Amino acid sequence: MSLRFLDLARPSRQHWLGYLLLLPAVALVALIIVYPLFVSLDLSFQKIGMATLNAPRRPFTLENYGKLFTSPDFWNACWVTIKLVVVVSAACFAVGLGTALLVNNRFKGRTLARLFVALPWAVPEVIAVVIFAWIFDSSFGLMNWLFIKVGITSQMINWFSEPTAAFWVVAITMIWKGYPFVSIMTLAGLQSIPEDFYNAAKVDGASALQRFRYITIPVLMPVLGVTLVLVILWVFRDFSIIKVLTDGGPLKATQTLSIMTYDQAFGFFNMGYASAIGIVTLVLCVVASLLMLGRKSQAMY
Amino acid sequence: MKTIGKRIAASAVAAMLVGAALPTSAGAEVLKFVSWQKDEKGVGDWWASVIKEWEAKHPGDTIEWTKVERSAYADTMTTLFAGGTPPDIVHLASFEFQAFANNGWLEDLGPWVEKAGLDLNGWSGQDICKFQETTVCIMMLYYGTIFGYNEEILKQAGVAVPKTYAEFLAAAKATTKDLNGDGIVDQFGTGHETKGGGGQYIAEMASYLFDAGARFTNAEGEVTIDTPEMVEGLTRWKTIVKENLTPRDLSAGEVRKLFADGKIALKVDGPWIYSIMQQGAAKDKLKLASVPFDPPLGGSSNVLAMPSEISDEKKQLVWDFIAIAASEKFQTSFATLAASTPPSPRADLTDAKAKIPHFDLMVESQKAAAEHKIDRIPIGFEVQFNEFSKMIQEEVQRMIIEDLDPATVAKTMHEKAEALQ
Repeated sequence: MSLRFLDLARPSRQHWLGYLLLLPAVALVALIIVYPLFVSLDLSFQKIGMATLNAPRRPFTLENYGKLFTSPDFWNACWVTIKLVVVVSAACFAVGLGTALLVNNRFKGRTLARLFVALPWAVPEVIAVVIFAWIFDSSFGLMNWLFIKVGITSQMINWFSEPTAAFWVVAITMIWKGYPFVSIMTLAGLQSIPEDFYNAAKVDGASALQRFRYITIPVLMPVLGVTLVLVILWVFRDFSIIKVLTDGGPLKATQTLSIMTYDQAFGFFNMGYASAIGIVTLVLCVVASLLMLGRKSQAMY
Repeated sequence: MKTIGKRIAASAVAAMLVGAALPTSAGAEVLKFVSWQKDEKGVGDWWASVIKEWEAKHPGDTIEWTKVERSAYADTMTTLFAGGTPPDIVHLASFEFQAFANNGWLEDLGPWVEKAGLDLNGWSGQDICKFQETTVCIMMLYYGTIFGYNEEILKQAGVAVPKTYAEFLAAAKATTKDLNGDGIVDQFGTGHETKGGGGQYIAEMASYLFDAGARFTNAEGEVTIDTPEMVEGLTRWKTIVKENLTPRDLSAGEVRKLFADGKIALKVDGPWIYSIMQQGAAKDKLKLASVPFDPPLGGSSNVLAMPSEISDEKKQLVWDFIAIAASEKFQTSFATLAASTPPSPRADLTDAKAKIPHFDLMVESQKAAAEHKIDRIPIGFEVQFNEFSKMIQEEVQRMIIEDLDPATVAKTMHEKAEALQ
């Protein structure tokens, strides 16, 4: 009786097999993602410095969230994060879409051009940051040398000591590292557009701009929508580029929510407060993703 | 850059230590020792000799020594302690152990010191290990700074080796030059790290502050920032940075390399600068002298401690390790192997003085700094040092970026420091 009950070959039990096969993956996700998330959520409601897993739970408090929402540093970090998201996402899309359209055309050396477009994506983030740190070095960097030679400036620019300059160094590094992803995704989308669409439009007398406006963009919308969400989430959570280039400075000009979380947790040992920042960041990411996926991401045709 | 690598390394170390926390085969004990100094020439060799001695005295038992990069060290140690799997031998920087002690993670070593009869009188920097009336660590290095200069650059500029701050400033100005006329300065008067964290930033500007008579707090831990001496100290630092007498936005390692390669004329640094000088392109032109600041900057560097939650048997083994490291024999060998001033006043320095020509300079500097109780960690901010140093760094950066009056900045820092306490 019990063996028959467990017979997974029976049509009525076949879906059990699916669940059973999924179980290890679900357990793993629960262990390495869901459990830490709940620990973090729990810590965010405690006034705690250094957390210990086996320590007794501290009393429930909303103090961390109260401190967070009244902290100028938090709002500054939000503003820096939003600025970076807008600047980096917009530039990644402009460059990524442009390069994808370029290498989608047939011309001599297209394969090589595609390779160069995708190259920054293949370069590890660590190496990319080192390269840009050298380029923008305030004392011996290539960029200062170039600016002085060309006559843009007569004095060395302290790229990492000036708030505006530091922000743009971070943004440019992220754009260089991030645009190939948009380019690759868009190129894949472009290659899936049937040639018939363009031929029909040409017959109807549509210009190149019109074909781009009324065929390419609408058909690409599902790809662009998903890509936009992924790029936004990448900028939101990226840590290593900022940490290594500026460490959030100077004067918190590049301090994003992820850098603030790290500083509070491992710099100042305020685990409860850091968890609260992490939870708010998660909520913001979820809201942004829902808003982006819910709109404008459906194909027109 | 190295962050991903560091995280992987940190996770690997954590995983190894968690695994090692499982019971080992009967009898043999394995002590876990994590340190950032493992591969450092000199001091790393000294640690290896301490381990060898301990293993010789405990046949069958071993010490598993793992390296974690300094920049990932606080994260790794926090994770290990938080997860309940701390290393058995706790090696921490002197500016970070307070947070661990404050959480009750470090054993009170007072009874162990007493039982072993370890004489800590005159032990440089040991006062810093007193935390809430308990001895939570043993100071492993309290150093005085030494002064390196490029003889050729000074000769070309026609300036003598500086002996005071005024002479130092004049020499730094005279040696900061655009040598090839391309509009870019390629030889600097002095060199400081201005890119790193708050603690390093304070260490970089501390010589100018202390020489001006400024202190962040007094002996009672009361904030003493808003003073004419601090205003003078800040003015000096602002001059050095604002007038580009130091390269900007470089790490400490990069600045030392520039000095070793002959791109910087004057450099005040810890004892480790000597070995870096020896590897540089300009090594024949580099000389050492007394620091032109009074008192010289000194500082506690790193400590040994014991976790409070390990078994009594393991505590005894860890204490044996600490006792070997603190013994006269190994304090003496520390001087020669690490080419640095040992904290013990009873170490025999004869051999070190014979082998290391500038050793007397280091000893004098260490003594002068210790007599003035100089340390980059102000009394009263031991636990919140990271927050305090970050605040100081930001306000000083603001002074330089927005060209603020040092008197206004001192007042702001004073108020913010009081709010932190």
